[in-house]
Amino acid sequence: MSTPPTLAPETARHGAAGAMTLRVEGLGIRLPDGRSLVDRLAFSVEPGVVLAVMGQSGSGKSSVLAWLSGTLDPHLHARGKLWLGDTRLDTLPTERRRLGLMLQQDYLFPHMSVGDNLLFGLRGGNRRARARRVEEALEGAGLGGMATRDPATLSGGQRARVSLLRTLLSEPCALLLDEPFSRLDTARREQIRAFTWEAARALPVLLVTHDLADVPSGARVLEIGEDALPDRLSLVRPGEAR
Amino acid sequence: MHRIPAWLIALPFVAPLVLGALGTLAPAFGLVPTLAPPDAAGGGTLAGFASVAGDPRFVPAVLLTLKTGVVATLLVVALVTLTLVSVHGTRLWRWITASLPPLLAVPHAAFAVGLAFLVAPSGWLVRLVSPLPSGWTRPPTDWVVPDASGWSLVAALAMKETPFLLLAAAAQLRILDVDAALRIGRTLGYSPARCWSRLILPRLWPRIRLTLAIVMVFNLSVVDLAILLGPGNPPTLPVLLVTLVNDPGSRAAASAGAVLLALLVVVVIAFALVAERVLTGAASVRRRSGARGLGLGFGRRVGQGIVLTLSLASVASLTVLPLWSLAARWRFPDALPSEWTTRHWSGRGSMLFEPAFETLVLALASAALALVAAVAWLELERHGRAPRIDWFWYVPLLVPQVSLLFGWQAAALLTGADGTWAAVLHAHWLYALPYVILILAVAWREHDPHWEHAAAALGAGYWRVLWRIRLPLLVRPLSQAAAVAVAVSVAQYLPTLLLGAGRHQTLAIELVTSFGGVDRRVIAVLAVLQSLLPLVAFVAAMLYPSWRQRRLAARAARGARLSSQGA
Repeated sequence: MSTPPTLAPETARHGAAGAMTLRVEGLGIRLPDGRSLVDRLAFSVEPGVVLAVMGQSGSGKSSVLAWLSGTLDPHLHARGKLWLGDTRLDTLPTERRRLGLMLQQDYLFPHMSVGDNLLFGLRGGNRRARARRVEEALEGAGLGGMATRDPATLSGGQRARVSLLRTLLSEPCALLLDEPFSRLDTARREQIRAFTWEAARALPVLLVTHDLADVPSGARVLEIGEDALPDRLSLVRPGEAR
Repeated sequence: MHRIPAWLIALPFVAPLVLGALGTLAPAFGLVPTLAPPDAAGGGTLAGFASVAGDPRFVPAVLLTLKTGVVATLLVVALVTLTLVSVHGTRLWRWITASLPPLLAVPHAAFAVGLAFLVAPSGWLVRLVSPLPSGWTRPPTDWVVPDASGWSLVAALAMKETPFLLLAAAAQLRILDVDAALRIGRTLGYSPARCWSRLILPRLWPRIRLTLAIVMVFNLSVVDLAILLGPGNPPTLPVLLVTLVNDPGSRAAASAGAVLLALLVVVVIAFALVAERVLTGAASVRRRSGARGLGLGFGRRVGQGIVLTLSLASVASLTVLPLWSLAARWRFPDALPSEWTTRHWSGRGSMLFEPAFETLVLALASAALALVAAVAWLELERHGRAPRIDWFWYVPLLVPQVSLLFGWQAAALLTGADGTWAAVLHAHWLYALPYVILILAVAWREHDPHWEHAAAALGAGYWRVLWRIRLPLLVRPLSQAAAVAVAVSVAQYLPTLLLGAGRHQTLAIELVTSFGGVDRRVIAVLAVLQSLLPLVAFVAAMLYPSWRQRRLAARAARGARLSSQGA
């Protein structure tokens, strides 16, 4: 297997700059018919820690992540508190939470080039500095010279890396990943996993997945539903705040 | 059906377009002396152009047309953008999208009459606020409808065409995955408004560019609405040209004017394309800046207020019509009639029956023929015997009606077909077919062919598969397409006027002719009747597939009961 590309120091550092503990208290999510999807869930994720949320389909994993990012379906009723350090986030709109989100699909904007997608994520700076940051980020990810490429011409693995770079360039304080590796082919999956964990090493990371192989060793696991878990993973049960 | 030659369907569609173009160009250049006598035009191939340009009403009419057409189109774009940015994803959005088909079904003329009854100095809006809080005990004299500057026409065009563009946009939004774009954009720190302006609208506009061009062409070339709500002196250019074409001595000038109107439309669309390119370039520069936007919830609420107000105004325009049609006594400033009556309906039975019957028969015939032609073409296309040429069906909608119909009328005059029912039906069919074929095309192409393969494997031939499998499975889009065809036909004013040679009195013709000269209550009856036909068609299109489904389910349940009893 080829060595995973590493992230440009400038890009990786940004995650660390604002990293704080992400904490959830008393999260409950109800379906429109009143049935409970998630009840009294509480957990915290420190910088540099990956918390994997696992469970059967329909157990509410993705709804938890959507609530964290402020994009929960308005038909679902949720209550609970979300903190990042001392800042309460659940009362803020999505755009002010600074939680990076990656979904199954990479959602590279098709009307923008690869470079423009990254510029769209990047915060602040003058035009020249912004262009330099993008080029450095691409070089560091093994995608040098691809700034002007149409995203449609990239491979699945390249697209996944660009999508992660875009998220990191927006300087998130935590990373929310909703099965981000599930659409990649087996050959590329391990490489992108390694790239992701390297890039997000200074951030609190919440990973929703079905696949145990997606979970890095040393990660904590929050089980929703009845999934059995191997011994190598530490277990956090619903309701247990760490 | 898949064996008939493609030209058999294409010919009745192409022939009027070619004849229309030739029939307009030839008299314009003095090439058909029988239609445009050289002495009347003043002699020479450019005499028609000189004659129309020399008309003192020509330049003011061109300027008025540009003003009303362009401003109305810009308003449509602004209102659609405002609706998408401020309302999409809310309960109001669901209400608006659900009310789009019935709003679109209402003919332009009926809508214009309703709007006039709403915003006129003695209109419903003023009555609702009088005598308190406005203090008016008599209708105010500060404005008139129609006004001399054309703003009533601009308002009517903008309010009537916004639902059309919004419907096209809503269909495309389903493909663009707006929710994902908003989700990603917002987690990257962008306000919802910025997500729309930088992520969604740049991808949406190219997809509805053609629909917007149709709106632009319509706004620049509309006749019935301009007669009802536009200024009279000078009128808009299309209305001026219709006046000229009715004068045999001015046919060359009218044809030349129609050519100039077509050129005007081309220039405006070219200008719009250049403006779009400039704006796209500027937008892509701004996209790279990384500016996140303030995310003002207040601005969104203001937008929602504006959209809600305009939606209610549209509904009120349609509500005021039945009120007037049933009013025996409605004095100013009463908010509602003080006495009610049905005599405007019952007392004018013969006056109403003939145009209503003529309208209904034309609508049903043109809808049926358009459905047959569309199904035949799509079947040919599916079997590789006809090309896929969606742009081609848009052509009648992208040419000003005046520019096409003057020529078609000239050709009909030369062949003796003018004034015949068949010529009027042909014109209605031509304008209904584009909508029918474009509505059906998506469903037809996406329909899973395995249903037909399964039926064929059971021994069913082509016709049996078509009648028993494909058509019943596609009953919903077929019903919708038929309803749209009925609505399009009921609204046709100019094709009926020009090709019918005054011998075919449809509701559209009666309504436009009566407006301004007849009792308001009689006009309201005509407008309600004209609106009812397409509304009934839309309701039927909505209910028929469900009724059919229920009947099939009931039959299946009965069968299951009988077989269990037998066992």
